[in-house]
Amino acid sequence: MTVDKKIGVYICTDCGIGGALDTEALDNVAKNEYKADIVRRAPFLCSQEGTQQIKDDINNEGVNTIVVAACSARVNTDMFDFDPARYVTERVNLREHVVWTQSPAPVAVPEEAEKTAEEKAGEGEAAAESAPDTGGEAEMETEAQEEAPAEAAAPEEATAPAEAGPVVDENTQEMAEDHLRMGIVRAKASDPAEPQIEEINKTILVIGGGPTGLSSALEAANAGYEVVLIEKEAELGGWAKKMYRLLPDKAPFQESKKPDIESRIGAAMSHDKIRVITGGAIEKTAGEPGKYQVTVNSNGGAETLTIGAIVLAIGWKPYNANRLEHLGYGKFKNVVTNVEMEQIAAEGNGTVARPSDGKQATSVAFLQCAGQRDPEHLPYCSSVCCLTSLKQALYVTESNPEAAAYIVYKDMRTPGLYEEFYKAAQDNPGVMLTKGEVTSITEDESGNIILEIDNTILGEKVMVVADMLVLATGMVTNTIPAHIEGVTDLTPEYVGQWRETETVDGVIKEVIADPIVLNLAYRQGPELPYLKYGFPDSHFVCFPYETRRTGIYAAGTVRHPMTAMQSTNDGAGAALKAIQCLELAAQGMSVHPRAGDQSFPEINFTNCTQCRRCTVECPFGVLDEDEKGTPKTNTFRCRRCGTCMGACPQRIISFKNYSVEMIASQMKAIKVPEEDSKPRIIALICENDAYPALDIAGLNRLKISPFYRFITMRCLGGTNLVWIADALSAGIEGFLLIGCRFDDDYQCHFIKGSKAANERLGKVQETLGRLMLEAERVTQVELPLNEWDKLPGIMEEFAEKLKEFGPNPFKGF
Amino acid sequence: MADESVEKGEETAGADAPKAGETEPESAVSTADPGVGPAEKTESGEAGATPEAAETGPAGGDAIPARVIQPDVRFVRDVINAGGSDLKKCYQCATCSVACNITPDDTPFPRKEMQWAQWGLKEKLTGSPDIWLCHQCNDCTAQCPRDAKPGTVMQAIAKMTIANYSISSIAKAVGSAKTFVLMALLPVIIIMAAIGIQGHFSNVPRGGNGAIVYSEFMNVYRAIDPIFTIFFVIAAVLLILGGRRYWNDMLRNHVSEGGAAPEKGFFGNLWPTVTEFLAHKRFRKCDETRDRANSHLLVFYAFVGLLLTTAWAGLYMDVIHRESPFPMYDPIKILANISAAAGIIGITMVLIYKFTHAGKIGRGSYYDWWLIGTIYVLLLTGIGSELLREANTAVFAYPVYSLHLMTVLFLFIYAPFSKMAHMVYRMVALVFARATGRDLGVE
Repeated sequence: MTVDKKIGVYICTDCGIGGALDTEALDNVAKNEYKADIVRRAPFLCSQEGTQQIKDDINNEGVNTIVVAACSARVNTDMFDFDPARYVTERVNLREHVVWTQSPAPVAVPEEAEKTAEEKAGEGEAAAESAPDTGGEAEMETEAQEEAPAEAAAPEEATAPAEAGPVVDENTQEMAEDHLRMGIVRAKASDPAEPQIEEINKTILVIGGGPTGLSSALEAANAGYEVVLIEKEAELGGWAKKMYRLLPDKAPFQESKKPDIESRIGAAMSHDKIRVITGGAIEKTAGEPGKYQVTVNSNGGAETLTIGAIVLAIGWKPYNANRLEHLGYGKFKNVVTNVEMEQIAAEGNGTVARPSDGKQATSVAFLQCAGQRDPEHLPYCSSVCCLTSLKQALYVTESNPEAAAYIVYKDMRTPGLYEEFYKAAQDNPGVMLTKGEVTSITEDESGNIILEIDNTILGEKVMVVADMLVLATGMVTNTIPAHIEGVTDLTPEYVGQWRETETVDGVIKEVIADPIVLNLAYRQGPELPYLKYGFPDSHFVCFPYETRRTGIYAAGTVRHPMTAMQSTNDGAGAALKAIQCLELAAQGMSVHPRAGDQSFPEINFTNCTQCRRCTVECPFGVLDEDEKGTPKTNTFRCRRCGTCMGACPQRIISFKNYSVEMIASQMKAIKVPEEDSKPRIIALICENDAYPALDIAGLNRLKISPFYRFITMRCLGGTNLVWIADALSAGIEGFLLIGCRFDDDYQCHFIKGSKAANERLGKVQETLGRLMLEAERVTQVELPLNEWDKLPGIMEEFAEKLKEFGPNPFKGF
Repeated sequence: MADESVEKGEETAGADAPKAGETEPESAVSTADPGVGPAEKTESGEAGATPEAAETGPAGGDAIPARVIQPDVRFVRDVINAGGSDLKKCYQCATCSVACNITPDDTPFPRKEMQWAQWGLKEKLTGSPDIWLCHQCNDCTAQCPRDAKPGTVMQAIAKMTIANYSISSIAKAVGSAKTFVLMALLPVIIIMAAIGIQGHFSNVPRGGNGAIVYSEFMNVYRAIDPIFTIFFVIAAVLLILGGRRYWNDMLRNHVSEGGAAPEKGFFGNLWPTVTEFLAHKRFRKCDETRDRANSHLLVFYAFVGLLLTTAWAGLYMDVIHRESPFPMYDPIKILANISAAAGIIGITMVLIYKFTHAGKIGRGSYYDWWLIGTIYVLLLTGIGSELLREANTAVFAYPVYSLHLMTVLFLFIYAPFSKMAHMVYRMVALVFARATGRDLGVE
């Protein structure tokens, strides 16, 4: 950075800040302690006038580092938006995180203020210790505070007490000053982004030519992108082409329809932006988004294509029915799977001839959840089999009005508008439904199947005799190779072999994945890591299409069981995600959740010890490595979470505006008073959930201990252990890491970040032991955003625990 | 906590115990929770029932074998065509059984009937007392979240049991509006023939003073008695036979489900059932159609009154040889007039309620209207005959009287095949329920 830093600090005095704090003292902190070039206090800083002042300072005074000490960084982003490539902007959250989480400012009469404070505390914690009746004036003050809108509080309301000269709570003031210090330090240590902008290829590769893939290809092509559509079979269409009928896909959702996939196949084949490769397979996928080199093998010839982003639509396979012998499959000829039933109907053009003798079936039993919702087989519900059985039951009754279809279910599950299909099928006199458990399946001499059903809603244990039995088997994602029998006993993340690698730092044990489809030339393995049951995802609810490999988007039944209609919609969604990725990459920007971020990890290789922690811990497989273990960055694969930065014991990975040293210096900026009554606790808060949770707590005026100092993390995965030792030896009482849930039902926006932090904390014990400190001084909590109301309690509890431990013996050294 | 759960356990076992003891003595112990064995034994009082004996005894407890069911698509269609057209909508939430105030606690209807009907399980339905324990309150229909109209389905099944236990082809014809004219023709022809044979088409006889005397027009001994007695007896025989078959079917199902044959049988339980019925308590348990209790009560007592009147008139004419018409102050006349008035008020109330309830439970089927209409015409023509006779307007009086006779005959002929038969089947079901303790606590 050649340009000298010129710092402007702007302190807003509205929304209660001016009323609760001595802003003049804040002013002095910036001026005297940090020699800020310009320090201004302004009412209503987020107004046109307020921001104009900042812009004027940028233009006239050459300010290039802007510290806005006002509201949450999550609000007014449009007002405090200064070109990140030229200026550093740091938001110090005095409003939500400091003023609003503390007692309301004492007003003219301290006694009443005391009462108000108590009342506040009582409200915040909904505790029984709530204050008795308060004076009218105090109550009014409380109400005024409550009603103050977050974004546009009336200036008069807050400035009025300021004019009267606020009586400031000492602890709140110190909290605000420390946060201002940390903000200025952070801003000082940051440099403007220098985005990596390269020429990228915007071709989208769609893998799989079923309804999902066709939809992705057509949507992307119609949006103007070049598409390569690769299908392993000789023709496009997937399962949808093999079905006798498909579930309805438009209102009134009552009748199944003939497969109409042909028209979409035709559209894809004739589209001038779509290149179709059938009978193809991918030999190798190397590179990164915008710059993939994909080697495709088709009809004996291999070629390498340059690809921008990939949509993975490789679909599903039926669960291996050979494992369902206990349900008669393989034992009795007239027991078939729902997939086989579809073939029977297709061959008979709607009539159902049973396999043993070709007789037209007059009674067909359907057993739902066959090998599903069963810990021995598929533990999950495939969500389409109830619909499929209803559809097939109608094959039976519509081809023969005297015929009956018996459906034995655990629960009928027909999500969404498919309820209409259920209703319509149910109205058919020949479709008979009962909940029940099939206790035995036998065959009589003429090949009929006898089902014994218990716990029926018919009110008794019954036996029915049917010409044939259809097992409603489930869907298995194709990310699981065919030779894997079950999905419950899969090793974590990959199907593959365990491998142990010796490093300077110890043994790394990891799964070397079997190649299946993508054959990625990635250090972390050739395929997408999966979560439960083989479904690849990076956050099921929030980021449905994103996998854990940036630039590769999963769609359709590969990511969870769904119908052809849902797959078609899913294909469109994934195509849009692929386009988004390419367009952001073209500007050197990150994709979600830090969409638009132009910073990226930079490694100072001179100090690298090849410990491989970064290449192993990266949740997105960004870093490759050479034979020695030296990491190699692939910026476009990166989502900028900083997990590598936290992992690195050498502290050599940093971003222009986020680094180990920066956060260490923030911690050093905290003033640690000698009095034991004023402990200092650092809370590392994840910007995705903990930060907004704290905002909401503030918005609801929940009282939080004033001894906390908040440091915002992109993800807890960036937590570096060096901070903990440093800060504890500087007299900080403890560390509370507030991050997202991890493991199975994780909510971490970077999948493994909060888990990585947790694993690292395991190692901190040693450090604490060396310092003769209690292990619980460093604690991580998992906080879902919707549990924001628990935050004050969690923080209070931690503070209490630290109190029990007694003061940090290093304090004052 | 522990105490509570133990107590609860005993309570449940205690509640089950008498039932088990009653229905299946040998298996009483084997079905009991071993944890509460001692209490169980003393309560059930089965001295010889040791666990060993139970093990070797007949099927008890869990070992009840699965019953082979034969779903019948045709029967499902029949129920749908008989009026239960929304039957298939039912998704077994059991709101209906909860809504019903007159269902037995242990074997609640109409949820299970809905399911049986969806599966076409004819045997279970036709031989079920619950079909007739249902009083058509239609609380279920009003509360059904899927508009499957359980009340209407129950009625359709009831209609099918009437057909099943009478002559089904006639019952089906009676139940269909298309064949109404054909059905009505029979009583019309019989009455017309009777008038014709007596030669009263051209020569209408008059009593003394030229007064209108219906017994001169239709001779009681030669016309009225033979015709009505024949059809009354036929109807009674058919109804009794039907009721008997219904009783036997119920008994068979009851026993095959593990129930014991009732000790006192039909007649032993008839009287308490009748006395209970006279107060119409069950009707009053209805929520949606509570007011129906009064209307049905009025019509019911009107029929009882008119039946008594008829018997009384027979007594007058055959035993003490008093000739009709009887004077207005005569008790028989007073009873008859009161009954007729009650009837007309009652049936009008029925009519009004049909419309006021229509929003929630529908307007009812042809089957209902057949009976309402017949009773209406019967009562109106009866009262009309009397009034016209008093007014001495022969030109109207005789045709109206003829119509009255036709209507009465119409009702007699088709009673075993129409909704009128409900009086027998419901009573049989109520007696059966009492005899087997099926709906203890409902009354």
